[in-house]
Amino acid sequence: MPPKPCLRACANASPARPDAMDFVVTTLLNALTLISILMLVGLGLAISFGLMNVTNLAHGEFVTVGAFAVYFVQSIGGSFWLGLAAAPIAGAVVGCILEFAIIRHLYSRPVSTVLATWGVSLILQQGLELTFGLGAKPVTPPIEGTFDLFFTVYPAYRLILIAIAMVTLLGVVLLISRTSFGLDIRTVIQNREMAEGVGINTRRTYAIAFTFGAAIAGLAGGLVAPLAIVLPQMGVNYLANAFFVVIVGGVGSIGGLVAGSVFVGGLTSVLNYQISPSLAQAIVLLAAIVAVRLRPNGLFNGAAR
Amino acid sequence: MIARDRNWLLVFAVCVGLTIVYPFIADGYQLTVIRDALIFGLFAASLDFFWGRTGILCFGHAAFFGIGGYIMALVTLNDAIPFASLLGMMGAVTGAAFVAAIIGYFLFFGGIRGSYFTIVTLAMGVICQQAAVSWSSVTGGDSGLIGIPPIEFDVGGTHLDLSQDLPSYIFVSAIVAVVVLALWSISRGRWGTVLTAIQDNEVRAAALGHNAPLRLLVTFVLSAAIAGLAGALYVCMAGLVAPDLSGLLLSTEVIVWVAVGGRGTLLGPVLGAIFIQRAQQTISSFNPSLWPLLLGCVFVVIVFVLPDGILSIYARLKALLKGRRRAS
Repeated sequence: MPPKPCLRACANASPARPDAMDFVVTTLLNALTLISILMLVGLGLAISFGLMNVTNLAHGEFVTVGAFAVYFVQSIGGSFWLGLAAAPIAGAVVGCILEFAIIRHLYSRPVSTVLATWGVSLILQQGLELTFGLGAKPVTPPIEGTFDLFFTVYPAYRLILIAIAMVTLLGVVLLISRTSFGLDIRTVIQNREMAEGVGINTRRTYAIAFTFGAAIAGLAGGLVAPLAIVLPQMGVNYLANAFFVVIVGGVGSIGGLVAGSVFVGGLTSVLNYQISPSLAQAIVLLAAIVAVRLRPNGLFNGAAR
Repeated sequence: MIARDRNWLLVFAVCVGLTIVYPFIADGYQLTVIRDALIFGLFAASLDFFWGRTGILCFGHAAFFGIGGYIMALVTLNDAIPFASLLGMMGAVTGAAFVAAIIGYFLFFGGIRGSYFTIVTLAMGVICQQAAVSWSSVTGGDSGLIGIPPIEFDVGGTHLDLSQDLPSYIFVSAIVAVVVLALWSISRGRWGTVLTAIQDNEVRAAALGHNAPLRLLVTFVLSAAIAGLAGALYVCMAGLVAPDLSGLLLSTEVIVWVAVGGRGTLLGPVLGAIFIQRAQQTISSFNPSLWPLLLGCVFVVIVFVLPDGILSIYARLKALLKGRRRAS
């Protein structure tokens, strides 16, 4: 397996002014960058794993597909923003095919889902490698330069990333709480039989929710592409972390998703200053295992499902 | 003795017979190929002992393989330690069992089962590989450790040197045969029955007085210990240890070996490991990046076409013939 610099790359921007306030603000913003990405990746997983009870090990590949979409659009001369628009579409297409071809046949066989989605993940990785060739793919950010935030100067693109992630998350919250489709999803989650009884097409709802989660993960991949090292194997880094976001935070609420992302992302960013990134990731995952033991229902339990 | 047990012993005897005959028809290189495949077969059997009996999928079993391998490497590379091979193997088994005991305690007594267990063990594999890469002063980092000596024993005055092909082949085959037979007798007895009860309905099994978390924990620890033993054997035969040995790819390959061979049969996974390793070597010699692609396809095909492994083809054919006879 290749080395894992992606999380470090998106967690650490080099501090410019070495004073204490600057350090704190930079660390906070680095953490916020990582937390934003984890929230977007975890969102799709919270839908499939947390709500539909589908263990999708190909979820990391949605991120990869999104990042490659940006690379592909840029390589044929398109702008970054065009690529960023293509990223969620690419994620959605792959997610939709996956749901249609495999996952919907295996809702009652959880172990089989694990095996089949892992197989799909390997196929997608090798497919991307055969199509685009070996080695890391360059993706240029839309804006170079930094932004003066009074306490510190910070790369402008990262601030945009955080903003887009927050707006997306807010949009999802509104979609689920305010629209009739959101109502359908909540109904199906609470009681599938009853939802069918009142005339909701549960298969369709599941399919749309799954595709939607894949699209958000694709968007996350597109956003992270200029910061990370774009490789066919990059998805697995996000996979384990995103699962822990969902498990640690608690299944089935946006609050849990935020809590889990803050736990995993915050800890990773802080540790990355002290020790090597692989050791930092190992420690974060260990801490997550302990957290799961102590709070089996998630950090944010008591939240409305 | 019921018919299923008799069939199993029959297949086991045939396999042992083939293993004994093989050195007479194969050259040294072919022997080492089968020897290494048998070690991975032992690893697959260890996963099957847990997954097949409890129905809980461990997605990071290579972590124990790697831990065993690294402990063996560190002990045998240290000149100050006497009886290095023996102590190394004991250390590998104990080390893997110890790690499994800690992780298993957190998970089983925390009520974590099913998909959650799979995800946590997946992370465990990632952690082990990361630790092996980043703790480079001990593990040698990305490049691992090389120059691990072959196994040597002094048993009752006679010196046993396993640097040659044939002795090491015999040694490995004997260990695999003994361990598989032992695991089989454990899992067909009372222990296995209780595990099946827990798999079917844990609450009911607990109500009947069985300490379900403890049973699962002990099974997991035993399974990890054997994986550690397989890792220790492997590094001595290969002469090197690298972070890949605890990586996700190996963790998933072992799942395929078990799934192809037939989960819960113990013998099937060993055969599955040997067949798939041979296939892997043949395919990788054409194009190395083709193998993961095919591996992915195998995962998908197994789930849809052969959920019970290749050994189930025979049972299916029999059922098909029976059905046809009845129809005609």
